[in-house]
Amino acid sequence: MTEPAAVPALSGTQGAILAAYAELIEELGSDDVSYRVIARRAGIAERTVFRNYPTRVDLLLATAAWIEATLFAREESHSIFDIPLAIRDAMQRYDARPELAHVVAETAMRGVSGAAPSPGRAQLERLLDAEVPSLDAAQRRAVIAALSHLDSVGTWVTFHREFGMDRRDIADAAGWAAEAVLDSIRDRVTPA
Amino acid sequence: MEEPVDTATAILASAAVLLRERSFDDISYRALADEVGISERTIYRQYPTRAHLLAALSNWLEQTCFPLAPFVTVSDFCAAVHERFRAFDASPAYAYVGARASAISPTLDTEQAYITRAIEAMLDVSAPTLNRRDRRRVSASLRYFSSAMFWARLRTGFDLDADEICDAFDRAVGTVLARLPHTTWAEPIAGRPGVTWAEP
Repeated sequence: MTEPAAVPALSGTQGAILAAYAELIEELGSDDVSYRVIARRAGIAERTVFRNYPTRVDLLLATAAWIEATLFAREESHSIFDIPLAIRDAMQRYDARPELAHVVAETAMRGVSGAAPSPGRAQLERLLDAEVPSLDAAQRRAVIAALSHLDSVGTWVTFHREFGMDRRDIADAAGWAAEAVLDSIRDRVTPA
Repeated sequence: MEEPVDTATAILASAAVLLRERSFDDISYRALADEVGISERTIYRQYPTRAHLLAALSNWLEQTCFPLAPFVTVSDFCAAVHERFRAFDASPAYAYVGARASAISPTLDTEQAYITRAIEAMLDVSAPTLNRRDRRRVSASLRYFSSAMFWARLRTGFDLDADEICDAFDRAVGTVLARLPHTTWAEPIAGRPGVTWAEP
């Protein structure tokens, strides 16, 4: 497991709890893991887990955020036209940790009480506004929404489950779709 | 909704009633048992884990609340998806259950969703000469942009309403289809969405 350095708000104990829970999800699935087992794996008292994460939903959302920030962390893209590459890389990482991929995908689909479903939105907007500022509001929104949707673990889950695709095929199809979205703005970059 | 005929369905119907006032996570097996008037044990027998319950509930809600209009052409496909997104907007609690269920690790032998098979059949007829890899890329993209996940992401992450989500969907479909040569299509696609926009 990677050190949870990318989530600075966490205490060492919290990082240990989330890493332990993520490990156990991979071994047992997210439904069957008790606080007692998590505490034992993290080497702390059960009441410490409760004090940090009073409910299972709290624990699950924190774990999903931790997984995104550490195990599924990605290199920052410097151009909107690099996003398809980042998407291909991300799909490979999801494919290596299928159980965790499902957990992250599901927590983002809970509405306002769940995890933020488009954590990369601000970054995509920044890149698009810098490179292709001439889009009207609806075009801009559509490009950001489509790329944000493709650059998520939901893509891996859907392509895997609905089409039985393997790692290469998923990375290929997701990258291809992102290139399709970019086709409409490819030659509209503001000259430097 | 119709009168439930068996215990498994009665449980789902009661869960749907409870979903109107609380989230799926706040529906305990205890409360569900009280609502149906059966023992908690009976619910565990039908749905051993909450993931089983979520998957079954999503399937049932899909059939009863979000039926998909049949489609053969791309424009009918888009119309059917618009109708669905509007139905999601009218019953968001149910739609989120669908989005969640499609993201969890499959509990049973999950088969392909109806919409996936329908999209593949549409491409078989409309683009019979398209090579296999591009066919999969296109069907996977169309499937993913027409999903409850797309609706949920745009509603929660972008605060969009059904009309705006339909617009974003049309544009996404337009960009995907615009990647294929015009000769791909057995018949020209009338009013292919997004294409006029794709050509500045």
